[in-house]
Amino acid sequence: MELDWSVVTRAWDLLIDGTWVTLQLFAWSLLFATVLGLALALMRLSKYRVLRWVSLGYVWLFRGIPVLVALFFAFFVFGRQAGLSAFQAGVLGLGTSAAAYKAEIIRAGIMSVDPGQFEAAESLAMTRSRYMRRIIIPQGIRVMVPTYMSNTILVLKVSSVAVAIGIVELTGITRQLSNSTNRPIELFTAAAFIYLFLTTVLIVFQEFLERRFALKT
Amino acid sequence: MEWDVVLESFPLIWKGASKTLSLFAWSLVAGTVLGLAVALMKLSSAKTLIWSATLFSWLFRGIPLLILLFYAFFALPEVGWLLSGFWAAVLGLSLWTAAYQAEVIRSGIIAVDQGQTEASDALGMTRSHSMRRIIIPQSIRIMVPPFTSNATTLLKQTSLATLVTVPEMTLLTQRIFSNNFKFIEPIFVLAMIYLAMTTVLIIGQLIVERTFRLRT
Amino acid sequence: MSPNVLVNVSGLHKSFGDAEVLRGMDFEVERGEVVAIIGPSGSGKTTMLRCVNLLERPSAGRIEVDGRILCEEQADGSMSFASKTEIRAVREHVGMVFQRFNLFPHFTAVENVIEAPMAVRGMKRADAQARALELLESVGLAHKADSYPLQLSGGQQQRVAIARALAMDPALMLFDEVTSSVDPELAGEILLVMKRLAQDGMTMLVVTHEMGFAAEVADRVLFIDHGLIVEEGPAQEVLGKPKHERTRSFLRAVLERAPMVEEEADDDAQASTL
Repeated sequence: MELDWSVVTRAWDLLIDGTWVTLQLFAWSLLFATVLGLALALMRLSKYRVLRWVSLGYVWLFRGIPVLVALFFAFFVFGRQAGLSAFQAGVLGLGTSAAAYKAEIIRAGIMSVDPGQFEAAESLAMTRSRYMRRIIIPQGIRVMVPTYMSNTILVLKVSSVAVAIGIVELTGITRQLSNSTNRPIELFTAAAFIYLFLTTVLIVFQEFLERRFALKT
Repeated sequence: MEWDVVLESFPLIWKGASKTLSLFAWSLVAGTVLGLAVALMKLSSAKTLIWSATLFSWLFRGIPLLILLFYAFFALPEVGWLLSGFWAAVLGLSLWTAAYQAEVIRSGIIAVDQGQTEASDALGMTRSHSMRRIIIPQSIRIMVPPFTSNATTLLKQTSLATLVTVPEMTLLTQRIFSNNFKFIEPIFVLAMIYLAMTTVLIIGQLIVERTFRLRT
Repeated sequence: MSPNVLVNVSGLHKSFGDAEVLRGMDFEVERGEVVAIIGPSGSGKTTMLRCVNLLERPSAGRIEVDGRILCEEQADGSMSFASKTEIRAVREHVGMVFQRFNLFPHFTAVENVIEAPMAVRGMKRADAQARALELLESVGLAHKADSYPLQLSGGQQQRVAIARALAMDPALMLFDEVTSSVDPELAGEILLVMKRLAQDGMTMLVVTHEMGFAAEVADRVLFIDHGLIVEEGPAQEVLGKPKHERTRSFLRAVLERAPMVEEEADDDAQASTL
């Protein structure tokens, strides 16, 4: 069995196109998931029971079903009603799924802040919005960085599932190329390396963030 | 949403549940055994073992699961390993989950207080004895939550086997809606079944945690 | 309430679930007074202190601070509390120093001190910084203005915390066992700052285990046990010649470990009670 790596060089442009779609999917779903996750986290911590329950229900649902099922809902059910493109449905499916995890991560971060910080801020007569913004959330972010980033790396990898609704991102293009050239080993290895490269970049970025937010001792 | 379609879809989709659970069970067992091996390699003092373990983790956590599945299904036949969709999926899922469970196992063992090892040494116990009777039982308690959480994810990820033609629940659901173009009902049923399964796992986890809880 | 009385508490009850921690307390603090609150662990001293700035909400009772009613019982027995704005208005003039310092770890010392004046009083940064440096100077830490809390010793952190509370120019300062989390040899520097504050005429409510400090600096002492004020009076009396047996046995147990106040030999005094 011989390997012909020239397939990869010839297909390189297409692989890069696919990578680009992957990155766009990743960026948009990450944004969506973070914003929605933040909202869900604050809802879960609110004093209104309804908000707490809605948030809890959302997290239970979206952590209980596979991403693929969320994508199916987004594409076949919601997307058809709302006239979304495959890409948009993909972002919706990936984003809503990831939001459930982001919500838990953000909530854990906020809750990890020492209650004494709340008390000190309250005793200094600061308003809640002021001290949430200046004192609590910055400290929560520091705690959140590792789990947030490791989940973010997951979002990048999970974007590959979008192939199931016809989005031609990196995995999708690789499968097409592999079918047409009949060189699966070379092509899937190339795709694997591209993913490894991207995840490693994110890991390095995570370490940078952890250092940047560390408390000075 | 048409409820009669829901009721019709349910038994059709449920037929795939045994495949889903079968994929899950095989991959969980194989993945945990492999993960244990990798964890022990990482904890050993042999440099080559540590490096191999680290490479394994980096590789199988850095590559998307779907790529692993496609590799097992499309690429392995090229080297003579012709696996059915089911076994290709089990292979991919096992390697993938092993990488994550290895971390859980390793962290669990490390998390057991250093003082426990020291106390055992001071009492003259051999390392293997203290591992078996002191360290591992305690580390199991620590490992239960993240282990179950990974297992729950594994259960959900079996849905990707649909992309390598395994007739588990998700594939059967697709067959239904590609035939009758009724999307919301079968997808709803599929979601509910997964939700029920993952909820059972969560409850199971709570029970196990309670059993292994320290008596106070 | 006479204008000289800064804090007026009556009928203070507090329960956490089924556990009644404060069982009916009445006390007053006059302007310029230093009141020490002593008692065994779990007696409710910290809870009582935290009610004064409403960090804890009483289950029953009336609390008035600086002419403002923080909470009181209605005719139907329910409790009404001041609004958030009113509570903040009171807290502007009541400073609190905590056992675990609670400094903002992502801010430097000077940033900790300027945060509230800027946020609450709208002070300009330059003015706030100038005042902060003065305050840090007065607690002996001007040279550590740009240090972060984790770079400071416990005693230094607590002194920054005191400066932070003083930055709001409070009429009343609450101290919650502020030396308990600090290595014994560093406690002295904190107590010195508090002593000078007292000498400058600050009204202080101090929950403490430091009997020497109480004897030297406090005007009055309240002995709390099981949620009730068992004994109160001038410091020298409560610490030197306690009237109640519970006060006596508490003091015996504490002073055993670090004799601070000269006591007349008491027939009941045993060398080792614990």
